[in-house]
Amino acid sequence: MSNFSFISATGWRCGCCNKELQPRKVNVEYMGSVFNVELMVCPACGMVLVPEDLALGKMLEVEQLLEDK
Amino acid sequence: MDQPQLRKLEATCIQEEAPQCSAACPIHIDVRAFMGCLAGEDWRGARRVLDRTMPFADIVGRICDEPCRKDCKRAEIGDPLAVGRLERFCVTTTPMVLKQPRLPAKGGRVAVIGSGLSAMTAALDLARKGRNVVLLTADEEIGGSLRDYTEEMLPARVLAGAVEILDSYGVTIQFGSSLHKEFFAIVRQDYDAVFLDKDLAGLASLPVDCTQPDPLTLAVGQDGCFAGGGSTENGFSVMKQVEDGRRAALSIERYLQKVSLTAQREREGACPTRLYTVTSGIPPLPEVLPADPAAGFTRQEAVREASRCIQCECMECVKQCAFLQEFNDYPKRLVRKIYNNEAIVQGTRTSNKMINSCMLCGQCTVICPHDFPLATVCRTAREDMVAKSTMPPSAHEFALQDMEFSLSEFSALARHQPGRDSSRYLFYPGCQLAGSSPAGVEQTYLHLTTHLDGGVGLMLGCCGIPAHWSGRQELFRQTRQALQAEVGRLGDPLIITACSSCYAVFKEFAPQLRQQSLWQILEKMELPAPKTAVPPQPMAIHDPCTVRHEPEIRASIRNLVKKIGIATKEQPYAGELADCCGYGGLMQFANVPLGEKAARAKGLRSDLDGLAYCAMCRDNIAASGGRIAHLLDYLFPSAGQEDPLLRPNPGFSRRHENRARLKQHLLTTLWQEEPAMAPAYKNIKLVIAPQVMELMNKRHILEDDLQKVIHQAEQTGRRLVDPENGHFLASFKPVRVTYWVEYQPGKQGFIVHNAYSHRMILPGDVK
Repeated sequence: MSNFSFISATGWRCGCCNKELQPRKVNVEYMGSVFNVELMVCPACGMVLVPEDLALGKMLEVEQLLEDK
Repeated sequence: MDQPQLRKLEATCIQEEAPQCSAACPIHIDVRAFMGCLAGEDWRGARRVLDRTMPFADIVGRICDEPCRKDCKRAEIGDPLAVGRLERFCVTTTPMVLKQPRLPAKGGRVAVIGSGLSAMTAALDLARKGRNVVLLTADEEIGGSLRDYTEEMLPARVLAGAVEILDSYGVTIQFGSSLHKEFFAIVRQDYDAVFLDKDLAGLASLPVDCTQPDPLTLAVGQDGCFAGGGSTENGFSVMKQVEDGRRAALSIERYLQKVSLTAQREREGACPTRLYTVTSGIPPLPEVLPADPAAGFTRQEAVREASRCIQCECMECVKQCAFLQEFNDYPKRLVRKIYNNEAIVQGTRTSNKMINSCMLCGQCTVICPHDFPLATVCRTAREDMVAKSTMPPSAHEFALQDMEFSLSEFSALARHQPGRDSSRYLFYPGCQLAGSSPAGVEQTYLHLTTHLDGGVGLMLGCCGIPAHWSGRQELFRQTRQALQAEVGRLGDPLIITACSSCYAVFKEFAPQLRQQSLWQILEKMELPAPKTAVPPQPMAIHDPCTVRHEPEIRASIRNLVKKIGIATKEQPYAGELADCCGYGGLMQFANVPLGEKAARAKGLRSDLDGLAYCAMCRDNIAASGGRIAHLLDYLFPSAGQEDPLLRPNPGFSRRHENRARLKQHLLTTLWQEEPAMAPAYKNIKLVIAPQVMELMNKRHILEDDLQKVIHQAEQTGRRLVDPENGHFLASFKPVRVTYWVEYQPGKQGFIVHNAYSHRMILPGDVK
């Protein structure tokens, strides 16, 4: 998952800041492994979007892989 | 698990034992594989099977006296396989496929005296091992007694072919040798070892007594001399010649290597096998006879006859268990995988999922002719994983949180009967019955209090079995201790257990607690007049796996059912052989799709409507689409109750809610106590469509979790918004899982459109 980009055009806007989400590199972490991934993020407050297909797809796959390590 | 434990367990599973035919064959030809090849028209494959084990297959394959045939499992249900005729078909239609290699020469001179089949076999086997072999015979031709066969059975050119084969392995053949005393003295001097074929005239004139060779080694009086073959009181057996020749060759090989002649030779020759194969239910097809007996089988006839082979194996446990079928393996191989999984220090533990998918129900152990303890192996492996911190966190967390909730102040309760300060009895419905049928728990409790003297206390909680199943021994111990202390506080009353899992836990791990099953109590009690009509058609009782070893409880259930007028029909996998519904061992949490399969399989054991007395069996089979009721639905129906057979699976959220509401309701109505204040987030009202609820159940997301997310989002304003439809998307991580919910405010509450979760930690999350 390291150095992967999961950005895609989205209709979601930040409800706090009323800003469009923009691609940004963030660190996500599980079981001591850190991954630098590109996600859609609010440029003002940093709120991150994890869409359903990512959570139940690649993210779940990596979670399970790490749990068996 | 250490190596000796592994070996012991591996030896318990008999799936890899030889089939009866191979075990009965003196040289252990893989008859099962041979039949498989012929049935699949793999002619060369069949010939390869013979070439691998059978010496001089062109000769022996024509005249094999098939000692295996009497042991063929098909004989139990009809005609055994025509092994000999099929071997003859094979060698007469397919030439040699596999020529065994000859190992490099390694010294040692061996004299083989005689020209019969045992002499030929001994010479061939020793030559293949690289020994220098001379075959000495007074005859002018090879074969001994084999020369008595008709030309039709064994053509002379085929028998003569043996000379070429022996020659190709470097065996020197001296026909016309004179076998007198001096000759033998010379032989003893010139050769390191001697084999004497008893299928030889004039053997008695030699100065060595060959009448009583040692049955294991075939050694006779003089050092380095071995004898075998020939006729016995049972006559002349072709395979006896082959067996003796091979046995003597092995003895001579060991003799030349100066190692033990006797160690580990139990499995040479025909030997017993522990393979267990059930033949009931197999159609007893009659033996296929060749249309022209003199010509033997045609290809079609051979295929038809070989196809009658049932390919003996055990697999009895695998045939019945959803878990074993899913992983497509039998216990011997699984236990090896578990051992290997435990041994991994760095790398991927590929068997975690498998270990966590066993229902720990013990059905396989009951089915197994040798009681393979797979459940114990899997549970111990889980304990090991927890101890080494290699247990995947996601496997059991949801179930353990469910248990925590059942034990929390919002669900748990322990009280004497209202208006009393002591209890002779204590009703313990268990967390899942409280979650599935709170009204049933209430009605049952009220019935017990009115019909039993001496006070009936009530205890809501959890016996701790999820901790036990998930390998959390310490948590299990703490839970049990707390429960025992609570029971002690109530004066150690007799516990009336409704759930058979709780019953099993108390019986095995807290034997000092006095308990009786609810069903045994009810059986002896006056029952309420039926308020719900029982179905007129017979029902199938689905015993839970946890009463496998409780025949008294199963009998009480049947008496009760009869008493209230429900007709039943037993299905074969009930009682001691009952399947698990998928809840056992927390399998349905660690492996969601397999849990669904297990529940469906249990429900499908009968075409009839089901009757359960375990809340999880009831709910899981209902969730898989089966029509099934809980016995309490008929015994103590609640007002306005729907048809018990149509009661849907409550799902995880409703179960939580039911437990909490049951406590609140009973506290206020029976004990006039104020329930604990619910946290603020519980005020969030949700509107969830059934298909979204189903999705949440599959994804192990509770309404409770969504209330927390929306409460947080509404408090802080931290949420995403879709201007197109006005939906919000918010996330929150209460403990380890981050929950996402897409929602919008509505008149009745927040309308939930979607929910999902992940365990990856995002920037800004509390770790």
